[in-house]
Amino acid sequence: MLKKIHIENYRVFKTFDLDFRDGLNVLVGDNDSGKTTVLEAVHLALTSRLRGRLIAHDLSPHLVNQVAARRYLDAVHGGATEPPPEIIIDLYLEEREETAFLKGTNNTAMENACGLRVKMSFSEDFSEEYQRLLEKPQEIRLVPTEYYRLEWRSFANNAVTARSVPISLSYIDASSIRLQSGADRYVEQIINQQLNPAERAELARAYRTLRESFADDDAIEAINTRLSESQDDLTDKELSLSVDVSQKASWESNLVPHLDDLPFQYIGSGDQAALKILLALQHSADRCHLVLIEEPENHQSPTSLGSLIKKVAEHCEDMQVVATTHSSFVLNKLGLDRLILIGRDAGLPITGLPAETLDYFKKLPGYETLRAVLAKRVILVEGPSDELVVQRAYLDAHGCMPSEDGVAVLTCGLSFKRFLSITKPLGIPTAVVTDNDGRDPQELRDKYEALGATTVHIGELDGGVTLEPQIVSANELATLNDLFGTNHADGDALCAYMKDNKTICALAIFEAENGCKLPAYLADAVAK
Amino acid sequence: MPSPNRAIIAAAGARKTQMVVDGALSDPERRVLVSTYTNDNLDRIRRRLGNEAGVVPANVEVMPWMTLLLREGANPYQSTVFGEPGLIEGVNFDHGTPRYAKRGTRRYYLDHSRNVYGDVLSDLACRANEDSGGEVIRRLEAIYDHIYIDEVQDLVGWDLEFLDLLFRSQIGVTVVGDPRQHILFTNRRSKNKKYRGSEIAEWIAERTSLCEVEIRADSFRCNQPLCDFASGLFPQMEAMQSIENVLSGHDGIFEIAEDEVADYIERYRPLVLRHNKKSKTLGNAAINIGLAKGSTWDRVLIFPTKPMREYLAHQDPTKLKAPERLYVAVTRARYSAAFVV
Repeated sequence: MLKKIHIENYRVFKTFDLDFRDGLNVLVGDNDSGKTTVLEAVHLALTSRLRGRLIAHDLSPHLVNQVAARRYLDAVHGGATEPPPEIIIDLYLEEREETAFLKGTNNTAMENACGLRVKMSFSEDFSEEYQRLLEKPQEIRLVPTEYYRLEWRSFANNAVTARSVPISLSYIDASSIRLQSGADRYVEQIINQQLNPAERAELARAYRTLRESFADDDAIEAINTRLSESQDDLTDKELSLSVDVSQKASWESNLVPHLDDLPFQYIGSGDQAALKILLALQHSADRCHLVLIEEPENHQSPTSLGSLIKKVAEHCEDMQVVATTHSSFVLNKLGLDRLILIGRDAGLPITGLPAETLDYFKKLPGYETLRAVLAKRVILVEGPSDELVVQRAYLDAHGCMPSEDGVAVLTCGLSFKRFLSITKPLGIPTAVVTDNDGRDPQELRDKYEALGATTVHIGELDGGVTLEPQIVSANELATLNDLFGTNHADGDALCAYMKDNKTICALAIFEAENGCKLPAYLADAVAK
Repeated sequence: MPSPNRAIIAAAGARKTQMVVDGALSDPERRVLVSTYTNDNLDRIRRRLGNEAGVVPANVEVMPWMTLLLREGANPYQSTVFGEPGLIEGVNFDHGTPRYAKRGTRRYYLDHSRNVYGDVLSDLACRANEDSGGEVIRRLEAIYDHIYIDEVQDLVGWDLEFLDLLFRSQIGVTVVGDPRQHILFTNRRSKNKKYRGSEIAEWIAERTSLCEVEIRADSFRCNQPLCDFASGLFPQMEAMQSIENVLSGHDGIFEIAEDEVADYIERYRPLVLRHNKKSKTLGNAAINIGLAKGSTWDRVLIFPTKPMREYLAHQDPTKLKAPERLYVAVTRARYSAAFVV
């Protein structure tokens, strides 16, 4: 269905390209990287609507990419002639019988393909007004989108309408649940899509009958009789109570879906979100249905998220789904191979992931794979005490926490190999910090480098076999006794204490005001 | 192998449009496009295609010829001609291509507002197909199984080139028309003068290997006296036969004087026809002959042009420059056609 998207000058994207895959696509990225913008752009190209409103009525300077806007404004202020920036969204669709009429070369790449194009650009109808505006360039503070026009066309350059677009769409934004009178708009839409036209007509008829019978009720009749008798002087027309049976008051706005007899808006936000997602996924019979899900993890407890994601994954076998997430759990469960990393100008898919790695993280979804994927640099450590000490080493070396520099220190137990198989294809520099456990450090270095580690940091054998003896060897006995509030007579006793209280000691080191000396291999690991 | 094409050359009143409608509705599995040059005729087709509720079936699309050329011909692959996507805004029906613009250039096809000059739209559609290596036709092949074109005699010049491309495609094409009813539209220039007007018959005759040709000289509409008069205008074509030959007591061709017009209209209620809005009709409401195409009336009253009057006097078709107009005027009627002389 969706093949790829090309975006120009829209929101965070100056230019952006992304190839979609069949089935599931999981978009990940930092905040403000543009995950939501991608979903928005897809939605816009398929509906010409943005958050329920026609974009043609809402052309705003804030839709224009800041870099493009700045460039335009600087040029205009400098007296240069620079055309106002154009926003373009080219959405490529799979070629099928029902999309054949959308085929042509009217896209930025002039590629012969089926697709839809949204273009917001300066309208020549306003040339005169714009010329007058240009006489005082300093007064132009924003891109003059009031002189823009919106074109929504196929790649055949023909105008399209919502009815002619051969793809139906469910856009589920679980992060914001908007409650309105009656059913939530999303639910209303989704239920509406579930019903076939005959069922819809039947429902509308039953609803009208119900309302009409209200007026025939004896009690209501009595009330109406009394009302018409006690006429005041305000009007000489007859006053009565009835139910609005006009088209406007249709069943959609009054019927409320119930879950276990609870009206929809009274069930928890988690269930609401889950229900919306599941309803949208019911479309599996329809080949031309697309589901966009924003952050399915919102409002979900870990348990319910597990079962929700399982269902999503099942449905995606015969339907295209594009989801965004901030959750490693969701990512691991849906499959790391489905990941598309949103970069500044392209969506990077992950390729070459070994099947065992995928399977491993599906079975052990608790690992923070997403942090690894999004980091500029990764330092892999064995356990939580290593993580604390490495963070401290980083703070000592650079004066800030690693996360502030986009460096992820990840505890991965014995899963170095699994994490390396993710970071390697994405080209993320990854350092491995591990104990020598009495083995030849060079041998271990070779092993991890072969697995894809950029650098490997291991204490020499004479410093001890694990982190604790390494720390003891690097410091005076008194310093550590002070730090831990202990009074051990020698290094061996201290080591034994530290081994028994690994996390407590690591926390003490992490939080200590002056700290202690840390082994040299850790300093190497955190060096930039 | 190209799909079987059909060309039906039929006389006035042969129920040509009904053939198109029946054909279009014959198979709900086929994706069908129906096109014709004038909007009036298209509306008539659309009404007849509709079911009781007036709804045209989903597998049938109805589109004016110029829209077909724009939407499906020029638009999709314009970038192969102009080197830029999305240039074309619409069609300029008011002006023709500049006299000295060179064919193939942007200036030749597009005006300042990037509308295609109406007279070169079919030229551009052919050009886009050529420059894209046949993509225009390939795209249409993916969309439609069969295309019906009514009043094919209205197509001229490059229109016929585009029709030729359709004839040679995988799409089945059925064209229906009557060369005798060709009326040149003033907003179009014919670049290819060879096949103007009546010569659509010749164009089709050259393509008998591409299509099955069917000639029908029967008229359901006109009675025999009218058929005879109409046939006299085109001696080179098969003479028309009235199928039912219903007589009403006032049948065939009549000539009346100007002072009889008021009484005649009062008595017979004919459709009053004129050449164009400059023709004098003694104050009577009338419609142009060209616009009456496709319609049926019991009787017509015609305010003839000078050549028409001469024809009435001498019956010499070789002296008549535009026999098509006279033919259309007379064959609107079932029973009688009167001329004001």
